[in-house]
Amino acid sequence: MTTGTRRSLKYLETNGFGAAQGGRGYHFPVDIAVRSDDRIYVLSRSGQGSLNGTGISVTDIEHGWHGEFSSYGTGDGQIQWATAIAFGPNDRLYLADEKLQRITIFDTDNKYVSHWGSAGSGAGEFDGPSGLAFDDDGNLLIVDHKNHRIQRYTPDGDFIDSFGRNGAGDGEFDYPWGITIAPDGTTYVADWRNDRIQRFTKRGDFIDAYGASGDGEDQFNRPSAVAVDGDGYIYVADWMNQRVQVFDKDWNFQTSARGQADLGPWAAEYIDANADEKRARESFNPYPKLDVDDPHEVSARTEPYFWVPVSLALYKDDRLLVLETARHRFQIYETV
Amino acid sequence: MTTAAKTGTELNLIAHLLRRTGFGATWDELQECAALGYDGTIDRLFNPGEPEHMPSDIIRRYHPDQSITQIAPSSGSVWMYRMTTTKTPFEEKIALFWHRIFATGQTKLIQGKVMLTQIEMFRQFGLGSFRDLLVQLSQNPAMILWLDNQDNHKDNINENYGREILELFAMGVGNYSEEDIKECSRAFTGWTIANMPYMSIRMRNNTLRPYGYVAWQYRFDPDDHDEGEKTFLGETGNFNGDDIIDIICKNEATPRFIARHLYHHFIADELPVPQWPFEGPKDPEAIQLMVDAYFANDYNIGAMLRAVFESDMFKSEATQYARVKAPVELVVGTLRLAGGFDWPTQDIFKATAACSYMGQALLAPVSVEGWMGGEDWISTGSMVQRINFASDAMGDLTKKGIKAIIDRVSERHPVGEVAPMALVDDCLELLGALQVEPDTRKGLFTYARAQGEINPRTNEGARKIASVLQLIVSTREYQLI
Repeated sequence: MTTGTRRSLKYLETNGFGAAQGGRGYHFPVDIAVRSDDRIYVLSRSGQGSLNGTGISVTDIEHGWHGEFSSYGTGDGQIQWATAIAFGPNDRLYLADEKLQRITIFDTDNKYVSHWGSAGSGAGEFDGPSGLAFDDDGNLLIVDHKNHRIQRYTPDGDFIDSFGRNGAGDGEFDYPWGITIAPDGTTYVADWRNDRIQRFTKRGDFIDAYGASGDGEDQFNRPSAVAVDGDGYIYVADWMNQRVQVFDKDWNFQTSARGQADLGPWAAEYIDANADEKRARESFNPYPKLDVDDPHEVSARTEPYFWVPVSLALYKDDRLLVLETARHRFQIYETV
Repeated sequence: MTTAAKTGTELNLIAHLLRRTGFGATWDELQECAALGYDGTIDRLFNPGEPEHMPSDIIRRYHPDQSITQIAPSSGSVWMYRMTTTKTPFEEKIALFWHRIFATGQTKLIQGKVMLTQIEMFRQFGLGSFRDLLVQLSQNPAMILWLDNQDNHKDNINENYGREILELFAMGVGNYSEEDIKECSRAFTGWTIANMPYMSIRMRNNTLRPYGYVAWQYRFDPDDHDEGEKTFLGETGNFNGDDIIDIICKNEATPRFIARHLYHHFIADELPVPQWPFEGPKDPEAIQLMVDAYFANDYNIGAMLRAVFESDMFKSEATQYARVKAPVELVVGTLRLAGGFDWPTQDIFKATAACSYMGQALLAPVSVEGWMGGEDWISTGSMVQRINFASDAMGDLTKKGIKAIIDRVSERHPVGEVAPMALVDDCLELLGALQVEPDTRKGLFTYARAQGEINPRTNEGARKIASVLQLIVSTREYQLI
């Protein structure tokens, strides 16, 4: 890894658009993943009253739109409370649903293949699958969050083993959420309600835990996701602090980003097509003077800032994609 | 009315107080307050401690749309979670009160986020100084756009807010002139929101595009404020909005108007507001009691209510069960008895929708005058909705509140069966010391007796007890508060 200079995030651009009825854009997206051919998949959970936005959208780094698939429902390939996606062997897409308690597989043409899972707390059962990652053996690690554990499965859904239990000690979890496998094989888990990130060996042995509750540089407020690049830098979606924090592999603080989105091509196209909004937006100050300091409220009133930054993905190892649930978009940063 | 067995007068009074200041009480909550006594319970209402409601992080994780609440079912449901899980329901009752008087609606405003920010403001300021509350209200972005004060310019006034603060919010018809409305409006010029043109047009276009709603921020624009001299309610000066509020608050018409609203919400159903200029209050002494408390305590709303709760008038039998439950009171009260939401679930939307079906869509009052209330809540359709909702909740044996009631009956009758009348009285008591008319009690007894043997330790017995609970929440008395 590099030393001497701090890793920083340089804003590049934004991809997204609020699409409550589906179509080009996202609606309350909760996870993002990059396929080996660089296609970017975004999982939209949508919301009650407008469930047509539920599904998986496909885009690319140049803002190309490659359609959407899946929808709200309980049938094969459908979604109720979607939480996570990850690409497995042969680029098959795995989808977790915490309401249906199942993992669904799609092929490279985005067609439904199969699903497995049932509710419970026994081996091979789920109570809220919420984070997915594949290890270098091609096995799937699933954050079984209300059982406060990580389960490992073969790509076909055969249970292998699990680790973790409820608590705040080493190797214990409190409603964990995101999971990632670093290039060196280390497993990172966003231990959501313990406000920390835990690291484990490939076998699930505890390595260390970092973070405490708060909004300081070494603190988190409900971290939801982690990404780790080839140099070992760690990127954390600090969900309730509405920011992304960056650390080196020894947890030395590097930088923190609050977000700085501007209009991406899809958004700009919409504004251009609506003369009244375009005219009114000309006097729009995206950073108004505020009378609140709660990060959630600040983000609600400041369009460029991250609002509910829920998931992260690395693109070609030098760009960080930051997915924001409440703004239906992801911001793209160069890691420098 | 007949008092349910094993309930003392003070316990009944505490139950009455908790129905009016909250959503009723479970047996355990009643016992906790009984240990404090009636006066101690009042003290706790005004010094309530932490609400310990379902945390925001939990709600937002499972309902991502409730992070932003741009959609009506989501925003109403955020409040529903709060009301069903809070340990300080008086805050919610106050928020409901002001939501009804200072009625703004998502139908026009579109954004649930700004509506909920307004509700939070009601929680924070709703029991304090009425002056502070009116200042907050006048600077509240939801209210500004609801009544078009962003279009109230120094060279071209818009009288919407200036009129309604006098007519609907603070004084009532007959206590000001048309000229006062104009002068009041001039004083509120420049009270707007940041990025007004863009925010205003997006509200009009009802669009979340491109990146979701941007919540509104109050902004005072000195360049658009009328700095000229104004004459308002007989006083002259270069008034700004807060000077106008000072003049409003010291006028005796103001506490009389607010007191009548408080009476309607906390004491007994009043006439509809449009009749107030022509018909005096039901209980002038109660109004005077509150007016005196208002002036003796720097316009403090909490002091007005405390005077009420401590009065013989409030404790009298005539005041108990003198109001029709609003739909939200019925739904939330029932869910709190049955055991509501320990964890996020899509059932929250059913509860929120149920309020709508009964005529009270949260965050969407029917007009600028809010909901009329009283007997307006009751129609053939709404009665069916009310009874079905309450009955369904009581019949759900998986609910922990229902299990707790059955367990309590079992504890009281550790051996064998429960006699029908004892069961009826137990159930009335365990549903919050509910009092019913003798005929109702007799009908409940007849039903319980017809169920045959009831052993609370068997599944069949539990089902029978639940059916008695279902019948109780279908009574006329359960519709009252």
